[in-house]
Amino acid sequence: MVAFTIEQIRGLMDKVTNVRNMSVIAHVDHGKSTLTDSLVQRAGIISAAKAGDARFMDTRKDEQERGITIKSTAISLYASMTEDDVKEIKQKTDGNEFLINLIDSPGHVDFSSEVTAALRVTDGALVVVDTVEGVCVQTETVLRQALGERIKPVVIINKVDRALLELQVTKEDLYQSFSRTVESVNVIISTYVDPALGDAQVYPDKGTVAFGSGLHGWAFTVRQFATRYAKKFGVDRSKMMERLWGDSYFNPKTKKWTNKDKDADGKSLDRAFNMFVLDPIFRLFAAIMNFKKDEIPTLLEKLEINLKGDEKELEGKALLKVVMKKFLPAADALLEMIVLHLPSPVTAQNYRAETLYEGPSDDQFCNAIRNCDPKADLMLYVSKMVPTSDKGRFYAFGRVFAGTVRGGQKVRIQGPNYQVGKKEDLFLKSVQRTVLMMGRNVEQIDDCPAGNIVGLVGIDQFLLKSGTITTNEAAHNLKVMKFSVSPVVQVAVEVKNANDLPKLVEGLKRLSKSDPCVMTMMSESGEHIVAATGELHLEICLADLENDHAGIPLRVSPPVVAYRETVEAESSMVALSKSPNKHNRIYVKAQPIDEEVSLDIENGVINPRDDFKARARILADKHGWEVTDARKIWCFGPDGNGPNLVVDQTKAVQYLNEIKDSVVAAFQWATKEGPIFGENCRSLRVNILDVTLHADAIHRGGGQIIPTMRRVTYASMLLAEPAIQEPVFLVEIQCPENAIGGIYSVLNKKRGQVISEEQRPGTPLFTVKAYLPVNESFGFTGDLRQATGGQAFPQLIFDHWSILGGDVTDPNSKPGAIVKEKRVRQGLKPEVPGYEEYYDKL
Amino acid sequence: MSEVVAPTLSTYQDDSTFSYDKYKSEHKKRPYLNLNSNDKQELISAIIDYYSLNELVAHLEANPQFDKITLQFPDELISDSSYIVEYLQSKIKERQFWVLADTSYSSCCIDEVAAEHVQANYLIHFGDACLNEVEKLQCCYVFGKPKLDLNKLIEQFKKKFDKGDNVVIMSDAPHVHLLSTIKEKLPEYKNLVIADFTAPNSSKIIGFTPSEQLYIKFNRSLSIQTTSEYDLFHITIPESPRLLQLVTQFNNLTTYDPKTNELSSGPYPNLMKRYRSVYIARTAGTIGILINTLSLNNTKKLINIIQKRIKDAGKKSYLFVVGKPNVAKLANFESIDIWCVLGCDHEGIIIDQVNEFFKPIITPYELLLGLSDELQWSGKWITDYKSVIAEYENEVREEEEEQDDDDDESQPPEFDPVTGRYISTSRPLRNMNLTITNTAENSNENALVERFSNTLTIKNTVSTSAQHLQNRHWTGLGSDYQNDEDSEGALVEEGIKGIARDYHPDI
Repeated sequence: MVAFTIEQIRGLMDKVTNVRNMSVIAHVDHGKSTLTDSLVQRAGIISAAKAGDARFMDTRKDEQERGITIKSTAISLYASMTEDDVKEIKQKTDGNEFLINLIDSPGHVDFSSEVTAALRVTDGALVVVDTVEGVCVQTETVLRQALGERIKPVVIINKVDRALLELQVTKEDLYQSFSRTVESVNVIISTYVDPALGDAQVYPDKGTVAFGSGLHGWAFTVRQFATRYAKKFGVDRSKMMERLWGDSYFNPKTKKWTNKDKDADGKSLDRAFNMFVLDPIFRLFAAIMNFKKDEIPTLLEKLEINLKGDEKELEGKALLKVVMKKFLPAADALLEMIVLHLPSPVTAQNYRAETLYEGPSDDQFCNAIRNCDPKADLMLYVSKMVPTSDKGRFYAFGRVFAGTVRGGQKVRIQGPNYQVGKKEDLFLKSVQRTVLMMGRNVEQIDDCPAGNIVGLVGIDQFLLKSGTITTNEAAHNLKVMKFSVSPVVQVAVEVKNANDLPKLVEGLKRLSKSDPCVMTMMSESGEHIVAATGELHLEICLADLENDHAGIPLRVSPPVVAYRETVEAESSMVALSKSPNKHNRIYVKAQPIDEEVSLDIENGVINPRDDFKARARILADKHGWEVTDARKIWCFGPDGNGPNLVVDQTKAVQYLNEIKDSVVAAFQWATKEGPIFGENCRSLRVNILDVTLHADAIHRGGGQIIPTMRRVTYASMLLAEPAIQEPVFLVEIQCPENAIGGIYSVLNKKRGQVISEEQRPGTPLFTVKAYLPVNESFGFTGDLRQATGGQAFPQLIFDHWSILGGDVTDPNSKPGAIVKEKRVRQGLKPEVPGYEEYYDKL
Repeated sequence: MSEVVAPTLSTYQDDSTFSYDKYKSEHKKRPYLNLNSNDKQELISAIIDYYSLNELVAHLEANPQFDKITLQFPDELISDSSYIVEYLQSKIKERQFWVLADTSYSSCCIDEVAAEHVQANYLIHFGDACLNEVEKLQCCYVFGKPKLDLNKLIEQFKKKFDKGDNVVIMSDAPHVHLLSTIKEKLPEYKNLVIADFTAPNSSKIIGFTPSEQLYIKFNRSLSIQTTSEYDLFHITIPESPRLLQLVTQFNNLTTYDPKTNELSSGPYPNLMKRYRSVYIARTAGTIGILINTLSLNNTKKLINIIQKRIKDAGKKSYLFVVGKPNVAKLANFESIDIWCVLGCDHEGIIIDQVNEFFKPIITPYELLLGLSDELQWSGKWITDYKSVIAEYENEVREEEEEQDDDDDESQPPEFDPVTGRYISTSRPLRNMNLTITNTAENSNENALVERFSNTLTIKNTVSTSAQHLQNRHWTGLGSDYQNDEDSEGALVEEGIKGIARDYHPDI
């Protein structure tokens, strides 16, 4: 039984002020999917009995089996609010019917890229935090990402039932725990908030925090209780809300409110939150779980809860579940928070437009996005590909930011490398159909106006992972998403049967499409490589590849790490290389780039496509670069956007601009395959100090300059204390105290470095944070489980690149051994070449 | 400089450039002749013996129709040429002899073009040869007969192989005459096969009678058909294309260097590296066909087949003839995505082991793999033209059902497993109606680049080079000043006078 029709939903899409696009984000196992089920159940899509354990949003078999979410899943829900609630909405609204486009996202750190893709198409986020575990590493990561995308959060503190049943806390303890959690969420928000978003902090007394249990299907906000009590006390609801949180106490004798926790006689008072909000819940729990059958009916009557026939027969947890679900239905609290406090697309696009659009922030397209104009030219961002039942075909899943998309419409599909006026990565094609994503099902709709989330059929062959869809040839791309994770764990895959090779390649293509972050490529020595963010991600990807995308037996190599080549100092002397004809000379020096600059480049803050003056401003003001240097950046590399730079420091060199293209091409080549062992370079800056060129154009052509620039880049690197960088994970482990010893011993063995160890207040749990080189992380989870008797589970997330200390040219050192092994595997000479190989004497 | 020398393009030159290099000493080392003294008479008789010149004279006398005879020498044997010509002229009167040296492509092949310059009707090839068939010129081969210390070789051989091993012994052309002797000295090896010469169709080998053996492979005749279960013992170290070809065909490969008397078993060129290049060919938009031979039989036919095949695949090809190609020469053509080299499989194919070249270089067979609808990789490496042409002709191509969609819809991009991305530029000849947006009408400048970049087609020929030019920062003189802030410009100054080659800023 579905409580609403597609026509109803389609109708609401046009009333864009009444649409809420939101994602559910949290740390793994904090209960996102279960909470989402409550909402889905309210919409009538799954039966009430199953909510809590159906995991409707987990559409894949392995998701159901493992009990974790792997892919984000979207669903559209219909909600109608009371007149009373609608009055309190602080943004423009039209009627009391609402459309909620909800995306449930995975919580495991390895799948953060799915969260990024979900956040891009939504405006609000429901952040789920576990009462007991509190704010964890992934909570912080996803929250940071949400704020970076200018997405407004609301919070639900979940699994309150655990606190009540397992930890048996007192009311005041529970209040303190809630308060601390809210506090730590707010600390993160204030650290990362974008000023344009305004005050994004959450406050229980404003109704932006809910408390509840997804498993039992109940939740409440302070506002709901305030509504109940407002009549009783005859005060305004908003006043009541303030009184029901924080240091606000009620003296039952004097019937007075106070902000002191003692009354006139020095007797301690109950906090209003404890007295009016927690007390009924505690009493229900106590009565039902202690089987006080006589108390229960009176309590139920007092709380206006009516049980149906056979429900009265229940007892214990089963009864508790039914009672609480009736008392405080989770969907009510969540819907109220979502509808009242999350922005509509109209509100959100107003401040998000400039961060979404790559082009100038005052052109017609950016304005159309800002106004969420359904009549403007189409601007649609495809954030991910969702597999269809038809093997190898995908829905392009995305959000309409401006205009209206309809089936049969001819559109321009602009891939990530498209630039206005160029032809690369540009395709013209008709959209076959538009569909609404409903969990594991889709519903066809005729068209979809600005502000809504939609699936497109028939354009999947043109986009690998994401892209912009528009109808106007002057429109720039919508900004490419930046992921917080990086595919640093790699394996080589090969087919068992040589005839299957084409299937493997096709499978790799499908795998690349189906996951926003996985990378497939080929190594120098012709091996097919799959790179993922962590061991779990890799495992899922390989299983998908073998069983689904390629459908052939595979041989998989042990995992290896992607390294980077870098320098640690300035070149000890000026590197010089002569062209093959000896008539052109390039003089350069290499030096390292500050880590902050590299990070800004990798995160797109410093961008090769930006205006060079704006870019120079950032480099000069934020990173202390010389303005003249910052303005003379010739190129980024590799792939034209990596964290390596060529800076022109020459003075008055004739024909210099003429060789720029050749220098750029050579630098891309050199930074793609570094001199040490053919890995990508990182944090390398090459300053061109002087250039001598032949007077005749033909003798300073690409053929002379490209090999020379590559050689001189190598020479300068080898003169500048070459080193390799390895990726490092941030590990977070929650465990009881007695497991800490085991954790330390495992970390020590694996070059881990503990950065903090804290007890979580009010719980016996400790949180240990440490840095762990990715290279050492293989099998870490298993070792940890063994050393702690299964009490510790780590979360590993890529954190940073770190220089692997030691001489790369000495095969007895740690980096030297890695370098030598890789060189031999590639069929190169085992020794790192000396600079002399690339250096020419004057 | 009082005398006027013809200006050449700016390579620094003075009078010494135009004087001959004189031999500093008369003596030149000729280790292959095993001379004991510097005596000239001994040298001449050694040369006569080494090159079987008397047999050659007899052969020429028997064929009086060849009156214009060219002698082709590789660089390392050129010093013997004067003695040989002198001897031949003394024996055979009234015929013309020319010496061909500095072969443009690979010295193992017959250089037809050089011979045509003097309208020769016969060519005698000296030194190591690939024995690949040539288009039309009549020729014969003189390999020379080097000596080896067979005992040392046999000692090394016995160290390496057990008696029951399946071994093929092969060598470069000059050493083949020793093979049967070696076999006789190794009677205890039962599964020993030697690679003898075949009789080339139209040409003769001086000083050697081809033996009859069953199967012909690698321009040698063998008594076995499949070699994959055999180890190969190769006397002398072959050039890398030949080496790669042998690696793919034998179970194992050991080379013997007669100069140092040492065995080596690798590292050899890696076939998997070429697998990667095959995929690069698949997504390349512009393919440069690099002709590194002119005389090999079927070259023209193969070029035509390749060009058609590339066009069918929607890609653009350009044809290059480059003598002695190197990194710098090929890097001059920036718009080429991949090179396909047509050359002799002994020396003429460029195998880039250390990623020296800007763009990868593949063979016609690999190109075929890359362009086929479904890429199969068998680990075979086919280089001889006949088989390659057969492969091209055997390839069953499904008729592509294009044109059934709207003409103004794009073709999907190609997935590139090398980079893991979609490549939209892999078929520049398709979607032309989409990519041409503005016609030349609105171009108000006469600049060639400008016109190129606005049209992309010149007389209905797609130019990917024009497309490439369009993406350059620097598009011609003055283009770098267009966005300059101070539009003042500089004052005109008097520049340097004279010819460009006289500018020596730093010499």
